[in-house]
Amino acid sequence: MKKSFFVFCCFLLCTATGFAQKYFTKNGTISFEAGTALEDIVATNKTAASVLDAATGQIEFAVLIKGFEFRRALMQEHFNENYMESSKYPRASFKGKITNIQSVSFQKPGTYPVTVKGTMEIHGVKKEMQTAGSLTISGTAVQATARFVVTISDYKIAIPRIVADKISKTATVVVRCNYSILK
Amino acid sequence: MKKAKRILLLLLVIALLGAGYAYYQYTRQPPDVKTEAAEIKTEAGELVAAFNNDEAAANKIYVEKIISVTGKIADIKIDPTGQATVFLESGDPMASVTCSFYDTEAAAVKNLATGRQVTIKGVCTGKLMDVVLNKCSIVP
Repeated sequence: MKKSFFVFCCFLLCTATGFAQKYFTKNGTISFEAGTALEDIVATNKTAASVLDAATGQIEFAVLIKGFEFRRALMQEHFNENYMESSKYPRASFKGKITNIQSVSFQKPGTYPVTVKGTMEIHGVKKEMQTAGSLTISGTAVQATARFVVTISDYKIAIPRIVADKISKTATVVVRCNYSILK
Repeated sequence: MKKAKRILLLLLVIALLGAGYAYYQYTRQPPDVKTEAAEIKTEAGELVAAFNNDEAAANKIYVEKIISVTGKIADIKIDPTGQATVFLESGDPMASVTCSFYDTEAAAVKNLATGRQVTIKGVCTGKLMDVVLNKCSIVP
Protein backbone atom coordinates (compact mmCIF):
# COMPACT_ATOMS: atom_id res chain seq x y z
CA MET A 1 0.00 0.00 0.00
CA LYS A 2 2.71 2.40 1.07
CA LYS A 3 4.85 1.42 -1.89
CA SER A 4 2.08 1.91 -4.44
CA PHE A 5 1.43 5.38 -3.02
CA PHE A 6 5.11 6.18 -3.40
CA VAL A 7 5.07 5.01 -7.02
CA PHE A 8 1.94 7.09 -7.63
CA CYS A 9 3.68 10.17 -6.21
CA CYS A 10 6.67 9.55 -8.45
CA PHE A 11 4.35 9.26 -11.42
CA LEU A 12 2.67 12.54 -10.52
CA LEU A 13 6.02 14.23 -10.10
CA CYS A 14 7.22 12.99 -13.48
CA THR A 15 4.12 14.06 -15.37
CA ALA A 16 4.01 17.43 -13.59
CA THR A 17 7.55 18.29 -14.62
CA GLY A 18 7.14 16.92 -18.12
CA PHE A 19 9.77 14.19 -17.63
CA ALA A 20 12.43 16.82 -17.12
CA GLN A 21 15.81 15.21 -16.61
CA LYS A 22 17.42 15.72 -13.26
CA TYR A 23 20.99 14.88 -12.37
CA PHE A 24 22.49 14.30 -8.95
CA THR A 25 25.68 13.40 -7.15
CA LYS A 26 26.53 12.65 -3.55
CA ASN A 27 30.28 12.37 -4.08
CA GLY A 28 31.19 15.69 -5.63
CA THR A 29 34.58 17.22 -4.87
CA ILE A 30 34.87 20.72 -3.48
CA SER A 31 38.30 21.96 -2.50
CA PHE A 32 39.72 25.31 -1.52
CA GLU A 33 43.03 27.00 -1.20
CA ALA A 34 43.59 29.81 1.28
CA GLY A 35 47.32 29.78 1.84
CA THR A 36 50.00 32.43 1.50
CA ALA A 37 53.69 32.30 0.75
CA LEU A 38 54.22 31.38 4.43
CA GLU A 39 51.83 28.48 4.59
CA ASP A 40 50.05 26.31 2.10
CA ILE A 41 46.49 25.63 3.16
CA VAL A 42 44.52 23.22 1.03
CA ALA A 43 41.41 21.25 2.00
CA THR A 44 39.24 18.84 0.07
CA ASN A 45 35.72 17.55 0.60
CA LYS A 46 34.82 14.50 -1.49
CA THR A 47 31.22 14.07 -0.40
CA ALA A 48 29.44 17.17 -1.68
CA ALA A 49 25.80 16.65 -2.68
CA SER A 50 24.41 18.39 -5.73
CA VAL A 51 21.27 18.36 -7.85
CA LEU A 52 21.01 19.82 -11.34
CA ASP A 53 17.76 20.28 -13.25
CA ALA A 54 18.51 20.16 -16.98
CA ALA A 55 15.23 21.84 -17.93
CA THR A 56 15.31 24.89 -15.67
CA GLY A 57 19.03 25.16 -14.94
CA GLN A 58 18.32 25.06 -11.22
CA ILE A 59 21.45 23.88 -9.41
CA GLU A 60 22.13 23.23 -5.73
CA PHE A 61 25.16 22.17 -3.75
CA ALA A 62 25.64 21.25 -0.10
CA VAL A 63 28.65 20.15 1.93
CA LEU A 64 29.35 19.17 5.50
CA ILE A 65 32.06 21.48 6.87
CA LYS A 66 33.50 18.64 8.98
CA GLY A 67 34.08 16.71 5.73
CA PHE A 68 36.94 18.99 4.62
CA GLU A 69 40.22 17.13 4.95
CA PHE A 70 43.49 18.94 5.58
CA ARG A 71 47.02 17.61 5.52
CA ARG A 72 47.65 18.83 9.06
CA ALA A 73 45.40 17.88 11.97
CA LEU A 74 45.81 21.24 13.72
CA MET A 75 44.67 23.18 10.65
CA GLN A 76 41.54 21.05 10.43
CA GLU A 77 40.81 21.61 14.13
CA HIS A 78 41.26 25.40 13.88
CA PHE A 79 39.17 25.48 10.72
CA ASN A 80 36.28 23.66 12.41
CA GLU A 81 36.43 25.06 15.92
CA ASN A 82 37.62 28.63 15.50
CA TYR A 83 36.89 29.82 11.97
CA MET A 84 33.89 27.92 10.61
CA GLU A 85 32.32 26.97 13.97
CA SER A 86 31.17 23.79 12.30
CA SER A 87 29.25 22.44 15.31
CA LYS A 88 27.03 25.53 15.13
CA TYR A 89 27.00 25.77 11.31
CA PRO A 90 27.53 22.18 10.09
CA ARG A 91 26.72 22.83 6.41
CA ALA A 92 27.55 25.22 3.62
CA SER A 93 25.30 25.45 0.58
CA PHE A 94 24.70 27.11 -2.73
CA LYS A 95 21.31 27.47 -4.41
CA GLY A 96 21.10 29.04 -7.80
CA LYS A 97 20.58 28.81 -11.51
CA ILE A 98 22.63 28.26 -14.63
CA THR A 99 21.51 31.37 -16.48
CA ASN A 100 22.41 30.09 -19.96
CA ILE A 101 21.09 26.52 -19.60
CA GLN A 102 19.36 26.73 -23.00
CA SER A 103 22.79 26.83 -24.66
CA VAL A 104 23.65 23.40 -23.17
CA SER A 105 22.57 20.42 -25.22
CA PHE A 106 22.34 17.44 -22.85
CA GLN A 107 22.05 15.09 -25.84
CA LYS A 108 25.19 16.31 -27.57
CA PRO A 109 28.59 15.42 -26.06
CA GLY A 110 30.87 18.38 -25.50
CA THR A 111 31.99 21.02 -23.03
CA TYR A 112 29.72 24.00 -22.55
CA PRO A 113 30.67 27.20 -20.74
CA VAL A 114 28.02 28.23 -18.22
CA THR A 115 27.26 31.11 -15.89
CA VAL A 116 25.90 30.31 -12.45
CA LYS A 117 24.10 32.83 -10.28
CA GLY A 118 22.68 32.29 -6.83
CA THR A 119 23.01 32.41 -3.07
CA MET A 120 25.96 31.00 -1.16
CA GLU A 121 25.58 30.21 2.52
CA ILE A 122 28.74 29.73 4.59
CA HIS A 123 29.10 30.13 8.36
CA GLY A 124 25.40 31.03 8.59
CA VAL A 125 25.83 34.05 6.30
CA LYS A 126 24.02 34.26 2.95
CA LYS A 127 25.49 36.13 0.04
CA GLU A 128 24.61 36.52 -3.63
CA MET A 129 27.30 35.42 -6.04
CA GLN A 130 27.99 34.67 -9.68
CA THR A 131 30.66 32.56 -11.31
CA ALA A 132 31.69 31.01 -14.59
CA GLY A 133 31.96 27.25 -14.93
CA SER A 134 31.53 24.48 -17.42
CA LEU A 135 29.35 21.45 -18.06
CA THR A 136 30.83 18.49 -19.89
CA ILE A 137 28.36 16.05 -21.41
CA SER A 138 29.50 12.55 -22.35
CA GLY A 139 26.82 9.92 -22.86
CA THR A 140 24.54 9.92 -19.81
CA ALA A 141 27.23 11.46 -17.61
CA VAL A 142 27.50 15.14 -16.83
CA GLN A 143 30.51 16.75 -15.24
CA ALA A 144 30.37 20.22 -13.74
CA THR A 145 33.43 22.28 -12.93
CA ALA A 146 33.81 25.77 -11.54
CA ARG A 147 36.46 27.90 -9.92
CA PHE A 148 35.76 31.07 -7.98
CA VAL A 149 37.09 33.27 -5.22
CA VAL A 150 35.38 33.82 -1.89
CA THR A 151 36.29 36.72 0.41
CA ILE A 152 36.56 35.22 3.88
CA SER A 153 35.42 38.34 5.77
CA ASP A 154 32.19 38.43 3.72
CA TYR A 155 31.02 35.43 5.71
CA LYS A 156 31.89 36.89 9.13
CA ILE A 157 34.77 34.47 9.60
CA ALA A 158 37.24 36.03 12.00
CA ILE A 159 40.93 35.23 11.53
CA PRO A 160 43.03 36.14 14.59
CA ARG A 161 45.80 38.67 13.95
CA ILE A 162 48.52 36.23 15.04
CA VAL A 163 47.88 33.99 12.01
CA ALA A 164 46.66 36.74 9.65
CA ASP A 165 49.83 36.64 7.52
CA LYS A 166 49.52 32.87 7.07
CA ILE A 167 45.91 32.77 5.95
CA SER A 168 44.82 34.48 2.77
CA LYS A 169 42.00 37.05 2.83
CA THR A 170 40.34 35.09 0.06
CA ALA A 171 39.82 31.42 -0.64
CA THR A 172 39.93 29.97 -4.15
CA VAL A 173 37.25 27.29 -4.41
CA VAL A 174 37.30 24.53 -7.03
CA VAL A 175 34.17 22.45 -7.72
CA ARG A 176 34.17 19.19 -9.66
CA CYS A 177 31.02 17.05 -9.74
CA ASN A 178 30.26 13.94 -11.78
CA TYR A 179 26.49 13.66 -12.02
CA SER A 180 24.29 10.65 -12.73
CA ILE A 181 20.68 10.69 -13.88
CA LEU A 182 18.19 10.90 -11.01
CA LYS A 183 15.76 8.03 -11.49
CA MET B 1 75.47 35.30 39.61
CA LYS B 2 74.95 31.59 39.93
CA LYS B 3 71.26 32.22 40.52
CA ALA B 4 70.95 34.30 37.36
CA LYS B 5 72.56 31.53 35.34
CA ARG B 6 70.16 29.01 36.78
CA ILE B 7 67.15 31.12 35.90
CA LEU B 8 68.49 31.61 32.42
CA LEU B 9 68.95 27.87 32.01
CA LEU B 10 65.42 27.21 33.27
CA LEU B 11 64.00 29.73 30.82
CA LEU B 12 65.94 28.10 28.00
CA VAL B 13 64.53 24.68 28.90
CA ILE B 14 61.00 26.07 29.02
CA ALA B 15 61.49 27.80 25.66
CA LEU B 16 62.82 24.58 24.11
CA LEU B 17 59.93 22.54 25.50
CA GLY B 18 57.50 25.16 24.20
CA ALA B 19 59.11 25.13 20.77
CA GLY B 20 59.10 21.34 20.74
CA TYR B 21 55.43 21.23 21.64
CA ALA B 22 54.58 23.86 19.02
CA TYR B 23 56.53 21.88 16.42
CA TYR B 24 54.73 18.67 17.42
CA GLN B 25 51.33 20.39 17.15
CA TYR B 26 52.20 22.06 13.86
CA THR B 27 53.36 18.88 12.12
CA ARG B 28 50.76 16.57 13.71
CA GLN B 29 49.11 14.43 11.04
CA PRO B 30 45.39 13.63 11.00
CA PRO B 31 44.81 10.15 12.50
CA ASP B 32 45.23 7.21 10.13
CA VAL B 33 41.71 5.82 10.35
CA LYS B 34 42.76 2.59 8.61
CA THR B 35 44.92 1.49 11.53
CA GLU B 36 42.77 2.80 14.39
CA ALA B 37 39.99 0.78 16.01
CA ALA B 38 36.37 1.81 15.59
CA GLU B 39 34.90 3.46 18.68
CA ILE B 40 31.33 2.52 17.73
CA LYS B 41 30.00 -0.40 15.72
CA THR B 42 26.63 0.03 14.07
CA GLU B 43 24.44 -0.88 11.09
CA ALA B 44 23.50 1.37 8.17
CA GLY B 45 19.76 1.29 9.01
CA GLU B 46 20.36 2.04 12.66
CA LEU B 47 22.77 4.90 11.85
CA VAL B 48 20.40 6.64 9.41
CA ALA B 49 17.46 6.16 11.80
CA ALA B 50 19.46 7.79 14.61
CA PHE B 51 20.05 10.90 12.45
CA ASN B 52 16.45 10.97 11.23
CA ASN B 53 15.05 10.77 14.77
CA ASP B 54 17.24 13.37 16.44
CA GLU B 55 20.04 14.92 14.43
CA ALA B 56 21.51 16.94 17.29
CA ALA B 57 21.75 13.86 19.51
CA ALA B 58 23.17 11.74 16.69
CA ASN B 59 25.78 14.43 15.93
CA LYS B 60 26.96 14.18 19.54
CA ILE B 61 27.20 10.39 19.40
CA TYR B 62 28.72 9.79 15.97
CA VAL B 63 30.26 12.91 14.41
CA GLU B 64 34.08 13.10 14.39
CA LYS B 65 34.21 9.53 15.74
CA ILE B 66 35.71 6.52 14.02
CA ILE B 67 32.79 4.16 13.46
CA SER B 68 32.27 0.90 11.61
CA VAL B 69 29.05 0.44 9.70
CA THR B 70 27.63 -2.82 8.35
CA GLY B 71 25.16 -2.81 5.49
CA LYS B 72 24.18 -3.94 2.02
CA ILE B 73 25.91 -2.15 -0.86
CA ALA B 74 23.43 -0.06 -2.87
CA ASP B 75 25.95 1.47 -5.28
CA ILE B 76 29.67 1.82 -5.94
CA LYS B 77 31.33 4.77 -7.68
CA ILE B 78 34.96 4.96 -8.69
CA ASP B 79 36.06 8.18 -10.37
CA PRO B 80 38.70 8.29 -13.09
CA THR B 81 40.85 10.10 -10.51
CA GLY B 82 40.73 7.02 -8.26
CA GLN B 83 38.26 8.42 -5.77
CA ALA B 84 36.06 5.57 -4.50
CA THR B 85 32.64 5.94 -2.87
CA VAL B 86 30.32 3.17 -1.61
CA PHE B 87 26.65 3.71 -0.71
CA LEU B 88 25.00 1.48 1.90
CA GLU B 89 21.26 0.75 1.99
CA SER B 90 19.51 1.91 5.12
CA GLY B 91 15.91 0.88 4.52
CA ASP B 92 15.03 4.58 4.09
CA PRO B 93 14.59 5.26 0.34
CA MET B 94 15.57 8.92 0.83
CA ALA B 95 18.84 8.39 2.68
CA SER B 96 21.72 5.96 2.59
CA VAL B 97 25.20 5.97 4.07
CA THR B 98 27.84 7.59 1.82
CA CYS B 99 31.29 6.13 2.44
CA SER B 100 34.17 8.07 0.87
CA PHE B 101 37.33 5.97 0.78
CA TYR B 102 40.99 6.78 1.13
CA ASP B 103 42.37 7.08 -2.42
CA THR B 104 44.72 4.19 -1.61
CA GLU B 105 41.68 1.92 -1.00
CA ALA B 106 40.25 2.18 -4.52
CA ALA B 107 41.73 -1.20 -5.50
CA ALA B 108 39.98 -2.93 -2.58
CA VAL B 109 36.68 -1.22 -3.45
CA LYS B 110 36.92 -2.62 -7.00
CA ASN B 111 36.49 -6.12 -5.52
CA LEU B 112 33.15 -5.24 -3.93
CA ALA B 113 29.80 -5.79 -5.65
CA THR B 114 26.37 -4.20 -5.35
CA GLY B 115 24.02 -6.21 -3.11
CA ARG B 116 26.81 -7.63 -0.98
CA GLN B 117 27.00 -7.18 2.78
CA VAL B 118 30.07 -5.23 3.91
CA THR B 119 31.53 -3.56 6.99
CA ILE B 120 33.19 -0.20 6.42
CA LYS B 121 35.19 1.88 8.87
CA GLY B 122 35.47 5.65 8.64
CA VAL B 123 35.02 9.01 10.34
CA CYS B 124 31.41 10.23 10.51
CA THR B 125 31.08 13.86 9.39
CA GLY B 126 27.30 14.23 9.84
CA LYS B 127 24.18 14.04 7.67
CA LEU B 128 23.60 15.88 4.41
CA MET B 129 21.17 13.87 2.28
CA ASP B 130 22.94 10.75 3.49
CA VAL B 131 24.90 10.10 6.62
CA VAL B 132 28.50 10.65 5.48
CA LEU B 133 31.65 8.72 6.39
CA ASN B 134 35.10 9.97 5.36
CA LYS B 135 38.51 8.26 5.21
CA CYS B 136 36.91 4.87 4.78
CA SER B 137 38.46 1.44 4.49
CA ILE B 138 36.93 -2.04 4.34
CA VAL B 139 36.88 -3.99 7.59
CA PRO B 140 38.01 -7.53 6.72
